[in-house]
Formats: sequence, structure tokens, C-alpha cells
Amino acid sequence: MIKIKNALFLIFGITSFIMFYIGILNYLTTQDKSIGLVILIFSVIVSLGTLFATFYISKNLTKPIELLVTRMNEFSRNNLIVKNSLDDKGIEELQILHKNFEDMANKVGSALKKEKQFNLELKEMDTRKTEFMSMISHELKTPIMPILGYLQLLKKEELMGKLNEKQLDALNEISISTEKLQKLIQDVLMAQKIDLGKLTIKREMIESKKLVEDSYKSFAPICENKGTKLVLSLGTTEMVYSDIDRISQVFSNLISNALAFLPEKNGIIEVGTRDNSDNVTFFVRDNGSGISEKQKKNIFKKFYQVDTSSKRKKEGSGLGLSICDGIVQTLGGKIWVKSSLNQGTTFFFDIPKAKIPVEPFKSLKKSYYLKK
Amino acid sequence: MTNLLSTSNQEEFGLNVLIIDDNEQITKMISSFLDMSNYECTVVNDGKEGLDLIKTNQYDSIILDLAMPEFDGYEILDALQRENPSYLSKIIVLTASNVPIENIQKFKELGISSCLQKPVDIDQLLSKIIDSSV
Repeated sequence: MIKIKNALFLIFGITSFIMFYIGILNYLTTQDKSIGLVILIFSVIVSLGTLFATFYISKNLTKPIELLVTRMNEFSRNNLIVKNSLDDKGIEELQILHKNFEDMANKVGSALKKEKQFNLELKEMDTRKTEFMSMISHELKTPIMPILGYLQLLKKEELMGKLNEKQLDALNEISISTEKLQKLIQDVLMAQKIDLGKLTIKREMIESKKLVEDSYKSFAPICENKGTKLVLSLGTTEMVYSDIDRISQVFSNLISNALAFLPEKNGIIEVGTRDNSDNVTFFVRDNGSGISEKQKKNIFKKFYQVDTSSKRKKEGSGLGLSICDGIVQTLGGKIWVKSSLNQGTTFFFDIPKAKIPVEPFKSLKKSYYLKK
Repeated sequence: MTNLLSTSNQEEFGLNVLIIDDNEQITKMISSFLDMSNYECTVVNDGKEGLDLIKTNQYDSIILDLAMPEFDGYEILDALQRENPSYLSKIIVLTASNVPIENIQKFKELGISSCLQKPVDIDQLLSKIIDSSV
């Protein structure tokens, strides 16, 4: 790469030397020494003038450019603009360039400041939101206890006396609604734990088959009551080293969702496993109304409710899937959905397999370790 | 009408239970239940009073809330740990707060009988009371 200074001195240096050389040559070769001398003096003046001009241009061209470079460096490092007296002298175009750079830097500087401020505010809002959720779930759990307690008490004939059928029925209705309220509160608390990264995990070696079968067994009665077919489809029975309760929770959420979106008749829910190289993929498939592309993008977000046009409206906190997402991620896997409108929906989630390396050539002892 | 609970085991008849919780609805509910089940029940809604009662009276079981204004459950546990550690085994922590794992560990180390989350099943509470009184 060429420097301006070097290029200028090279070009004009050569030029002024040539002029000087021509003057000398002419003087040496001419007959008329007096005219030759005049020409020589003239050529010396011009060549010196060229040299001075070169110095002047170089200074007023390179220095301001170098200054601009320094300022840009300074700005990109410290968000500051260094001013100095060179600003008002020299080449006009460069001066305009400097001024424009300064304007731009000021704009950028103030935008960055605003963004920093905004981020601080967002962080504070987030903290307050977390504190609020913590307080609210505590406050909500408190009155639930006497409600449930008295409901239990009222059902104890030996303590409160016998109730008639209408009274027992009324109690039952209260129980149902209270349980829903409880589930809502639990969801909020769970979502908050996940957000704060405070979800506790207890890992065990378990067959993936057993995980699915447990969920299958717990939901079989409900499905039978609803006339829904529940199908078990085990593609693999590999072991995983993971949290049984948490995975049950995920299945529970997914199957409950599926139940809510089934067609009126001939509803089918399929649960099972598939092999997926280092992971076991668990899935829950339904033949319900399906999810659109737009919904698929948002469905794992908090409080997002799929708006169904069917008569049955989805109840609940809207946190179920975001909780599933949080749990699966904490367990080292991921969750995703495949669906089209009116063509059913399948939720998949991966859980890493338990790795069992066999030591080659050595003893038949196996050692278990986990793959992170 | 016989009380099935009291006739099942003569030793549980008349167990002396102290309930410390600032929420009146909860203390009323638990004490109603325990009264009906023929237990001796003392209710106090203030932490400091609760601690004084523990020190001056003998209880077979103490139900302790953690989140209370002014003097909370943790402060009571600290005081007992320093001054009357033998009472810690009678304590059942009953709280709506999300207790961090470190604290649950600490409770176990102190010998606290159990740590329950609100809302709790009243039958389960009763069985934990019986456990703590032994």
C-alpha cells in the first residue's frame, strides 16, 4: 500500500529533479551562457517551488487525514471525539469530511447511550417482574390452604356430620375449581423457577420405554372415558439418564393439550419413542385441528394461547408449553412441533441417551458415564 | 359419633400442638380440625409470642410458618438452635414460600421433623404431627 506522502514526494521529487536536470543540461550544452543561466535559475526556482508545494500539500492532506483516522480510532474505543486546532485550516474538502464525521459520531454516541439506558431499564423491569411473580404465587398459595382444608374437613362425616347429596355435589364443584386454581399457581411458580434457572433435577438411569408407559398408564383411564384411542408406539427402548418426574410433567402437559384439541369423534393420541442417534426422541401425536405456521413460531412462548375456532376453548395459564420447553432444555434436550392445519399435531422432544462405553481389550467391566 | 382418629391409637389422644402462623384463616382451620380430632391446640399469630411459648411450655408438636412479619420462622429456628436445640425435632415447617434447597438441607441437619408446602392435605399434616411427637 502506498502512503500519500511517499507518493507525492516521489512524483514531484522526480518532476522537480527532471526540471533541474534539464536546466543544468541546457546550461552545459547551450552556446548562449547568459540565457542558459537564466533558464537554469528559472528551473531551480520552479523545482524548489515544486518541492515546497509538495511539502505544503503533503502536510495539509496527510495530517488532516491522519487526524481523522485517530479520531475514528478514539471514537470506536472510547466513544469520545478529540478536538484540536487543526480543524479550521487546510483543505476545505477535508474540513467538511471532519465535520461530517463529528456529526455522525455524535449521533451514534447518543444512540448508544440511549440503548444502554434502555437496557438498564429493561433489566430492572425484569427483576421487578420476577419479584412480583414470586410474591404473587406465595400470596395465592396462602388462602388456597384453608379452602382445601375445609373442603376435606366437610367430607369427613365423623367430624362434621353427614352431608346430603346436593351438599356433596356442591363441595365437589368447589374442589374442581380449586384444583384448577392450584394448577394455575403451580404453573406460574414453575415458569418462574425455570426463568431463574432454579429448576431442580434428579437424574436416574431409566428405560425410555418405561417413561412412556408410565404416562400411557396414567392417561389411559381419562382417554377411555372420553372415547379417545390412546396408542403406544415404541421405536426404541434405549436408556436415558434423566429426571423421571420432570419428563412425566412434560408428557402430562403434552397429552393434556392433545386431549383439548381432539376432534369430536375418533380422537387418537399416539405416544412413543424414536431413535435419534445420540438422543431418544419422545413424541405425542394427535389427530386434532392442527397448528398454523404462525402459531408454530409462537407456541412455546409464555402465555401464548392458540386461538381455536372450535366451541371448546382452551383453559389454563398458557404456560404449559413454555414450561415443557424450559424443562426439556434444562435436561439437555430440545422440543419442537410438526403440524398442519386440520392434519393433526406432533410434539417431539429429545432427551440425550445414557452413554455406555465398553473398554476395548480390557476386562468385561462396563462403566457408565453421561454425555453432557 | 366416635372420632376414628383418637380410637385408633390411645397414645395420640390429647397430643399437645402449638401452631405459629400469622394467617388467621389457616390457624383457625388447622385448630378446628385438631380440636375436632381431640388434640390440645394452642394458636399464636405472632413469632415472638410463639418462641416464648415454646420455651415456657411443653408441646408434642409445633407447626411453624416461615414468612411472618417482624419475627419470622427463620429467626425462631435460629433462636432455638442456639438456646433450645432439643425442641427442633418437634417442629414441622409449614410454608407457602419456595424454600431453597440449601435451607431444606439445613432443616434436615437441624433435625427438624418435616418441611411441608402449603397448601397441605390435612390428613397428611396429621400424620406428620404424629411423627413429630414421637
